[in-house]
Amino acid sequence: MFRSAGLRLAALYAAGFVAAVIMLGAVTVLTTRTALGRQFDTRIRSESAALTQEYRTEGLQGVAEAVAERDRTAGALDYGLEGPGGRVIGGRLAGSGAASGWSTLKIRQPGRGREKIRMLVTPLGGGYRLLVGGDDESVEAVDAILAKRLLAAIAAVAVVGALAGFGLGRGMRRQVSAITGAAEAIIDGDLSRRVPVRGAGDDLDQLATTLNRMLDRIQALMDSLKQVSDDVAHDLRTPLTRLRTRLESQIGAPDGDSEAVLEAALADLDAILETFAALLRIAQIEGGARRAGFRPTDLTNVCRTVVEAFTPSAEDTGVTLILEGDEAVMVDGDSELLTQMVVNLVENGLRHAGPEATVRVRSRLTDRRPTLSVIDNGPGVPDGERERLFDRFYRLERSRSTPGNGLGLALVAAVARLHGAEVALRDAAPGLEARVTFTDAG
Amino acid sequence: MKLLVVEDDRETGAYLKRALTEAGHAVDLASTGRDGLLLAAGEPYDVMVLDRMLPQIDGLAILRTIRASGVKTPVLLLTALGGIDDRVEGLEAGGDDYLVKPFAFAELLARVNALARRPPTQDVQTTLKVADLELNLLRRTVTRGGQRIELQPREFQLLEYLMRQAGRVVTRTMLLEAVWDFHFDPKTNIVETHISRLRSKVDRGHAHELIHTLRGAGYCLREPD
Repeated sequence: MFRSAGLRLAALYAAGFVAAVIMLGAVTVLTTRTALGRQFDTRIRSESAALTQEYRTEGLQGVAEAVAERDRTAGALDYGLEGPGGRVIGGRLAGSGAASGWSTLKIRQPGRGREKIRMLVTPLGGGYRLLVGGDDESVEAVDAILAKRLLAAIAAVAVVGALAGFGLGRGMRRQVSAITGAAEAIIDGDLSRRVPVRGAGDDLDQLATTLNRMLDRIQALMDSLKQVSDDVAHDLRTPLTRLRTRLESQIGAPDGDSEAVLEAALADLDAILETFAALLRIAQIEGGARRAGFRPTDLTNVCRTVVEAFTPSAEDTGVTLILEGDEAVMVDGDSELLTQMVVNLVENGLRHAGPEATVRVRSRLTDRRPTLSVIDNGPGVPDGERERLFDRFYRLERSRSTPGNGLGLALVAAVARLHGAEVALRDAAPGLEARVTFTDAG
Repeated sequence: MKLLVVEDDRETGAYLKRALTEAGHAVDLASTGRDGLLLAAGEPYDVMVLDRMLPQIDGLAILRTIRASGVKTPVLLLTALGGIDDRVEGLEAGGDDYLVKPFAFAELLARVNALARRPPTQDVQTTLKVADLELNLLRRTVTRGGQRIELQPREFQLLEYLMRQAGRVVTRTMLLEAVWDFHFDPKTNIVETHISRLRSKVDRGHAHELIHTLRGAGYCLREPD
């Protein structure tokens, strides 16, 4: 039965509550007893004082009468008056043999059995002694009441504790079974399921949040995998079909023009393989394993290498390629991937900005964040289409005729994501700015 | 040259053997990792071509084993894994070069030739010389027929690589890797434009061209016939 976390929690709670109530009860009993005892002592002391006063004003005879008088009154204390040598003069307590001062004695009382008597013995002078005391019934009565109430309280608390523990346990069990349910659903293939977060902000909620983040990551990976297979299916089928047609048309054709067809087929095949390699590369980058090999890398240096490599080609097409930034801008990253990212951005600029354009490659710190920009003054990209350019295979209508597989910016986005950088396309008025903003280098 | 090809795909293996033999090499073909390891460890070869993924013993294991036993034969690794980290892993295991499948045969041949060319222990050369073209590695100067040629640093590197491989075909990919350290294929013809600029500085105004373009294969710097 204690295998259930809920029941175990209920028992634990009840036991804890009961222990606390017992401790509280003990303290209450002790405190009450002390207070009541003190009150009783005060009563005895003031009676003694009053009778001593009586002795002073009325003499021995007056005291004896007062004692006899009070002894007869019901509900009063007990009294006694002794002469020299313990001679009994009057009162129920006389002859008990108590010493002077405070004492507690067990005395046999006629008709009442043995009683515990608290008494104060006051010497009156000349060997006479006054005894005042009584059986403090109130303390015992209170003890009995307290004990009864305490037992009731313990019982109540045990029930409440068990209920509270059980309730808490049930809450926990519910959350645990919610997590289990979500996990089962995911195992059954529903990757979109998430663990409910109750909003209590406790550690179970934290666990749920962490689990959900992990599930998000897994789903992103699965999506990317699915994306790759979809892309392969979708975008490689067209060129593969074209290739197939080309080859098929050769069967039975005269030998004369087969060379040209074979060369065209080879070119088709190369384009297919290139697309395939680019897709795999993006998928691999998105897998995130490359992050393990990050090193401090100078962005400016990466830009310089790329600008230097592309300058002759740019000049041949009439485009001016400019490197802006001469200070080292350090990021933690993979220099090979960063190089490819800059290459893709620069190639986009060269290809789409048109002849006579200027493409600027800039690396610098913006608000202490390393920033890389590739800015052209070409025709730019219409609002609303900029974000879609990062999608795989997305191409602007006017670019469909130019070479390219529509994967360049998708790869840029993947590399940026791997580096925890933000990538955005902005209107450079005129032209387009592709900006990659890294996180603070610290 | 005596070559060893370890390749488990029968058709690819047979094709490589035939094509390399046609190119004038003596070729041993092994189709399992075990056979490959036995041959690699026992016979002296000039270059080995190892497929990375093999049944039983994979290419990397063979490579590590022969390197551990002191065989220094240059090794070209073939892989179907287009992975970015595979290259590093292959080179760390003792590979000398790396080629991703599928590849053009011209690329494989060029790389095999380039590997064989490597002197076992490289003497410290200070000048490279092909015909009347001279490149001084210490002073970083180039002359042709005694006349000074001014080159950009990258053009110098490009020429140095071509001269070290003089007489051999060098592919575009090999140049991208060796000169720019680009391990991917840019769409832009950066190699072509750099070669054409280099050619205009080195060959223009001379009777014999030294830098040749081989269509569909690559480039070659060689002495005039």
